Amino acid sequence: MIAHLTPEQFVDIIDGAVTDSDVPHLTACEICRRQLSELRGLMAEAADIPVPEPSLGYWDRLSARVHDAVAPEAERPRSWSERLFQPRVLIPIFASAFAVAMFVVLQPRERLTRQPPPAVALAPIPSTPLAAAGRAGLPAAVVSLPPLGSANDPQLALVAESGTAFDWDEMRDEIALSPGTDSSAVLDSLTTDEQRELQRLLADEMAQPSVPETRS
Amino acid sequence: MPPVGAARELALDQLDDQRLVTACLAGRPGAFDLIVERHRRSVYQLCYRFVGNHEDASDLSQDVFLRAYRGLKSFRGGSSLSTWLYRIGVNVCLNRVAVKKPVMEDLDARQHVDTAAESQMERVLRQERGVQVRAAIAQLPPKQRATLVLRIYQDLSHDEIAQVLGSSVGAVKANFFHALGNLKKILGAEEDLA
Repeated sequence: MIAHLTPEQFVDIIDGAVTDSDVPHLTACEICRRQLSELRGLMAEAADIPVPEPSLGYWDRLSARVHDAVAPEAERPRSWSERLFQPRVLIPIFASAFAVAMFVVLQPRERLTRQPPPAVALAPIPSTPLAAAGRAGLPAAVVSLPPLGSANDPQLALVAESGTAFDWDEMRDEIALSPGTDSSAVLDSLTTDEQRELQRLLADEMAQPSVPETRS
Repeated sequence: MPPVGAARELALDQLDDQRLVTACLAGRPGAFDLIVERHRRSVYQLCYRFVGNHEDASDLSQDVFLRAYRGLKSFRGGSSLSTWLYRIGVNVCLNRVAVKKPVMEDLDARQHVDTAAESQMERVLRQERGVQVRAAIAQLPPKQRATLVLRIYQDLSHDEIAQVLGSSVGAVKANFFHALGNLKKILGAEEDLA
């Protein structure tokens, strides 16, 4: 059984991509040879039919029609979507979004990879003169005191404790016994009026009933 | 002294199609008018081959250029501008013939070819045969008709036709073969009737 030419082979021969002599089957097959001849004739006949040339000036009129049809499109203000979907708008938006995404993605990893602080932490920076003084010699507990003004402020307690530690009688004796503070010398330095006033005050003081000494 | 950019800007008629498209997208006045001027004849002829009358061909040509203008930013330059316009043209024509059967124009109504050398009889016979062939082409299935028109009249290669129609080269060759075969059948049937 003879295999006739395929449609693709016919078209290749008609187009000239393949010559008749390249296809030995054509020499042997009268059917394919006749079919090829008919196809060539039809193609030539169809190609010979011209498109009628339009009237003079038609091409300019067509251009004008197209120009008029396109003009409203060219003058139409762009919609928000058209303005948005431009490279000069989209590129910065995507770049910003990418940068934010990278920041969000990489930030937790950076925290995870960060080394934990050393076991011996540095002392906090003192915010008060008292804390600064603590650095100079006070116990460590005093140095790490909480801020001033809290309800049970240990710094206030420290001040109160220091206040109660003073013995006012001892302080007075210390003053009296210090050199250059002899009482008679002090009295000698007073004028007569001052000595008289001092006597009056002492007399008033001695006349008052005795009250227990209170300190606040 | 003119700015550097203006000095570099070539006149529109010196631009090739690709740069003309770029100029049009950049908003240069007259760029699209020049595209129309360069391709109006071939687009009109394509449309005329499909619909067979001047009025419809004229409307379709305008529609082709309007669609081309709207879609100009989608033209990537992968094919020539004429191939891209043919693709639009074929789609527009196929849509048209799908909804409205074109009225075939009598060929001698607009024939402006030089017939001085022909005898009266030869001219009549040639015109009659032309009408028959055009009518036969109009009866072809749309894809076969598109393939035949693009191959014979627009002189596109099978590769280019495949781009226009969005099909394979093998399918284009098969369509072309069957289009010629169907044309022969239709014309043969008419001759038998005559």
